[in-house]
Amino acid sequence: MVANVFTKTLRDQRRSLIGWSIGITTLVLVEGALWPSIRDMPNLDEFLSSYPDAFKKAFNVGAMTTGTGFLNAELYTLVLPILFLVFGISRGARLVAGEEESGTLEVVLVTPVSTTRLLLGKAAGLLLGLCVLGGVTGLSTWLASASFSMGIEPWSIAVGSVSMVLLGLEYGFLALAVGAVTGRRSIAIAVPSVAAVGAYVLYVAGLMVDSVSGWLPWSPFHQALAEGPLASGLPSRFSLLVLGALVVIAVAAPVFARRDIRVG
Amino acid sequence: MDVAIETHGLTKRFGRRRALDGIDLTIPPGQVFGYLGPNGAGKTTTIRLLAGLLRPTAGTATVLGLDVVRERDRMQARLGYLPGSFVGYADLNGEQYLRYLANLRGGVDWNVVTSMAKRLDLDLGRRLGVLSHGNRQKVGIVQALMHRPELVILDEPTTGLDPIIQQEFLGLVRDVRDAGGTVFLSSHIMSEVEAVADHVGIIRDGSLVLVDSVEMLKRRALRRMDLTFAGEPPQSLSAIAGVRELTVSGSTAHLAVEGSTAELLAAAAPHRIEQIVTHEPDLEEIFLSYYDGRG
Repeated sequence: MVANVFTKTLRDQRRSLIGWSIGITTLVLVEGALWPSIRDMPNLDEFLSSYPDAFKKAFNVGAMTTGTGFLNAELYTLVLPILFLVFGISRGARLVAGEEESGTLEVVLVTPVSTTRLLLGKAAGLLLGLCVLGGVTGLSTWLASASFSMGIEPWSIAVGSVSMVLLGLEYGFLALAVGAVTGRRSIAIAVPSVAAVGAYVLYVAGLMVDSVSGWLPWSPFHQALAEGPLASGLPSRFSLLVLGALVVIAVAAPVFARRDIRVG
Repeated sequence: MDVAIETHGLTKRFGRRRALDGIDLTIPPGQVFGYLGPNGAGKTTTIRLLAGLLRPTAGTATVLGLDVVRERDRMQARLGYLPGSFVGYADLNGEQYLRYLANLRGGVDWNVVTSMAKRLDLDLGRRLGVLSHGNRQKVGIVQALMHRPELVILDEPTTGLDPIIQQEFLGLVRDVRDAGGTVFLSSHIMSEVEAVADHVGIIRDGSLVLVDSVEMLKRRALRRMDLTFAGEPPQSLSAIAGVRELTVSGSTAHLAVEGSTAELLAAAAPHRIEQIVTHEPDLEEIFLSYYDGRG
């Protein structure tokens, strides 16, 4: 079962993945169950237009008359991104910094396994963990759509799930990378959390303030959410999220290889 | 390979604090080297530099002919290492944990693991999280030795072990040496090192103050003797070179001799000695003299 760093990372996530999967499935199904009553509201358009402008822009409230628009606004633009961020950052910070602080890293590093291979094995394990959560999110969305006749295209569901995975990946890898550079779990949690809040503020401000809108493409939230994220096409912006995640690991690896390992 | 460990001017600073100051050490293969010093002297820093977990501020270190910085992973493949505060994964049992590390090392002969566990009286089926400190330490010892490394570096290995298991452990250390391997072990207890080491190094405040064979140290050590004479012990004993701490009770003189006892025995012989009792040389005293800076 624990043949290498990658499978060890997966094994360490298994309980947490089960819990998160149950939570996300429940959330998506409960949200979906609300859809029929929202759809059948006689004055839905009127109700939606009474929302403040900022709200309408941030959550694309105008599209809430369709099942796709409803889930985008209710789940996929804030609640699910937060859940994927929390999972990615908390797991990512644990992988190197957490192990280093607890002292278990010491013996694992004095093997033929290099710091870079260890980092890559852990990154791959986190990626697969996020993919499992993404798969669960997609499946439960498909189930909700079918059960409550939301009419969401399977392709849109796939794109929406990928966008959640990539958002979790970007900040999860940042947490892993900061942990590998500093060896401190608190910093590995703080840096990506602050970065995510900053990026979200930039995203919302960019939607509302014209002078900021030029900066929008820099926000990972824009990269992940701009098209829906339940959307009919796979946005090319997703490649920026992948690139960002790879860059932080690539920057961290040589620093990790050269720094002192802290005593647990 | 002519040397197992070789360092030149090995120095480590943590911020402003100088933890290790220009250590020059050469340890030939096939011996047990005891690394002694009080807490905070720099033992763990030396060991973690040699294991490739720290980078030297200055100087170089080669382990098994491999540079600990540039050829770290190849060096670590051939090294066995027990950290000063060994921590394994609490949720794995002994077998799962050791199999994981064995896999990272590309596989080990599992018979070695089971026989070592038997010798140390270690139950591999129990989760590390529920083991006592001593039993956890046994897991640490097994992981350091299970791949039959050419060099084993052990940081205070016997902490938490009961005396019987300590003996078994010292047996394992001798086995490594008898198989041609090298063991570098740190301790702050002389008697433990004396029992197994061929050479010792003493470190104080980040500097190596002594490297010598245990044999030579014993020769230089204070040797306690009790000389019982037929009559009064002669007054002249205290004037003999090397004699210390002379006390007389009845017809017996209790004293300590540093170095050779030849002169003492020559001077005492004409006074009709009835009995001589010599005690094992006490290395602890040498050690302590280096500890507090008298050496």
